[in-house]
Amino acid sequence: MRSLSWAYLVAAFGFIYLPVAALVLFSFQSGGLPVPPFEGPSLRWYADVIGDSDLMGALLNSLVVALFSGAVSVALGFCAAYGLARHHLPGSTLMRAVLIAPMTVSYLIVGLGLLIVLQRAGAGLSLWTVGIGHVVINLPLCFAIIYATMGAQQQNAERAARDLGANEAQVVLLVTVPMLAPAILAAFFLSVTFSWDEFIIAFLLSRFDVTLPVEIWSLLRSGLSPKLNAIGSLVFLISVAGVVALELLVFRKRQ
Amino acid sequence: MTAPVQLRGLNHFFGNFQALKDINLEIAAGEYITLLGPSGCGKTTLLSIMGGFIEPSEGAVLIGGKDTTRVPPARRPTTTVFQDYALFPHMTLRDNVAFGLRMAGANRRDRHRRADEMLALVGLEGGGAKRPHELSGGQRQRVALARALAVDPDVLLLDEPLGALDLKLRRAMQDELKSIQRRIGTTFVHVTHDQEEAMAIADRIVVMNAGRIEDAGPPARIYQKPASLFTAGFMGEMNRIPARRGDSGLETPFGSVNLASPEASSLILCLRPEAIRTTQAGFSIGPARVRDAAFFGTHVRAHFSPDAEPDFVLVAHLPPGRVPDQGEVMTLWADPDSISVFPQEN
Repeated sequence: MRSLSWAYLVAAFGFIYLPVAALVLFSFQSGGLPVPPFEGPSLRWYADVIGDSDLMGALLNSLVVALFSGAVSVALGFCAAYGLARHHLPGSTLMRAVLIAPMTVSYLIVGLGLLIVLQRAGAGLSLWTVGIGHVVINLPLCFAIIYATMGAQQQNAERAARDLGANEAQVVLLVTVPMLAPAILAAFFLSVTFSWDEFIIAFLLSRFDVTLPVEIWSLLRSGLSPKLNAIGSLVFLISVAGVVALELLVFRKRQ
Repeated sequence: MTAPVQLRGLNHFFGNFQALKDINLEIAAGEYITLLGPSGCGKTTLLSIMGGFIEPSEGAVLIGGKDTTRVPPARRPTTTVFQDYALFPHMTLRDNVAFGLRMAGANRRDRHRRADEMLALVGLEGGGAKRPHELSGGQRQRVALARALAVDPDVLLLDEPLGALDLKLRRAMQDELKSIQRRIGTTFVHVTHDQEEAMAIADRIVVMNAGRIEDAGPPARIYQKPASLFTAGFMGEMNRIPARRGDSGLETPFGSVNLASPEASSLILCLRPEAIRTTQAGFSIGPARVRDAAFFGTHVRAHFSPDAEPDFVLVAHLPPGRVPDQGEVMTLWADPDSISVFPQEN
């Protein structure tokens, strides 16, 4: 039984990580195709990636869109959560439901819907529209995370702050936000990660300036190459760095 | 600083429920008041109205002679010590205590000096760099007190401040609260449901029940001469002896006693256990059989069945010298001055 459970563990982790391991391994291929046998190691494809200004531009675009849309999602999500948690508003249950509902809509539908609306409104497609799309999908997530952590503890501290002479802006900035910092940071990092590797909406809502997943997709159309493995490995590295930063900054502090 | 508080004709409704009924109360500057009552009696609502967290449906709150009924908490000369402390967990103790001064625009050096002074006042000198999670419950309570006092309020409101502490710590903190209040002279209004706590610290106890003030006065008067049957029962153990007005005073199952009494067909005589004695006094209960007795250190607590009414059980606190045996017959008396008489409630 014991050896069976170990075998299961190995199989499970193999299933999850083997594709990533293969991707990373063949990014060091010195030949022209990312298939066995492995020849190398070589960094020529990394040099190729870094020398490719289109790719590097797309990578920068992705980072900017991710950070910006993450920040906007968190800010809006916080405001919605604060309003709904602290004030008795008419129809607040309905408002909560409507805020969270977009999570259940597929990205394709969200993207198509936005595309139609933006075209009708006469707004040209750009990184801005991609950012708007990412705010639409990340706002429900940020709202849900922050709303769930707002409890009586903050509320009492807010009361105490008001009692000691703080105005509403001071209450929010000096008490509520610092007390909710773990949830706010978690929501931000998750939003950034989701935006960072989101493809469908970015594809539908961008034109000349594209994000990295869209650029990778257009490279894929010209066939497999270890260059794709190299860019994939870099994307993976940045995502891992994001998760590690989240772990260190947010979850460790809680203990 | 310190200021008097006047509550005039306060009524408050939560929906259809009337939480406060016609509250009128004058609190003198520098007085230590406790609002005492069972949970749900409206004492915390009354405190919240004084603190500005709730606007009363009717009536006025005057602090230092000024009408503050509609002044928000931030601009009132009151601060509150909350039941759960409500400290800011992301700030050091010094920053917690200095928060009010920071809001008032004091510079960093002044407010840190003041915060250190306040921490020293509550016995936490040198702890300014710690954070709330490093402290015990009692220490957090002290920080909350220091934070509320740092802005030099005219009136300090305390919402069951000792409720979460264990009994021993609670008794120690009571003495400390009282001595701090004496030193700074601020008006303290302290909400509690613990009548011993109220007696230990208050200059004046305000007993509340079902949204009304039942009684208000110094602890000894409230205890010995309660104004209502509710107060009598709430302030401690009480023997309730049924009585009726007769020709020779009040007639009880144990004989009659001469006492002033309200106009009512049936009455209740309230007699504290410690007012029952085995030496002669004005009211004779007569011989009574000991049902059980236990030694409590300062007294012996015994249950008696009086021969005149064997089904009736009297509780008495006797001197601790000797624990009577079960079944022993003792002759009991009580001093008529220690008896309060109320009409029977239906």
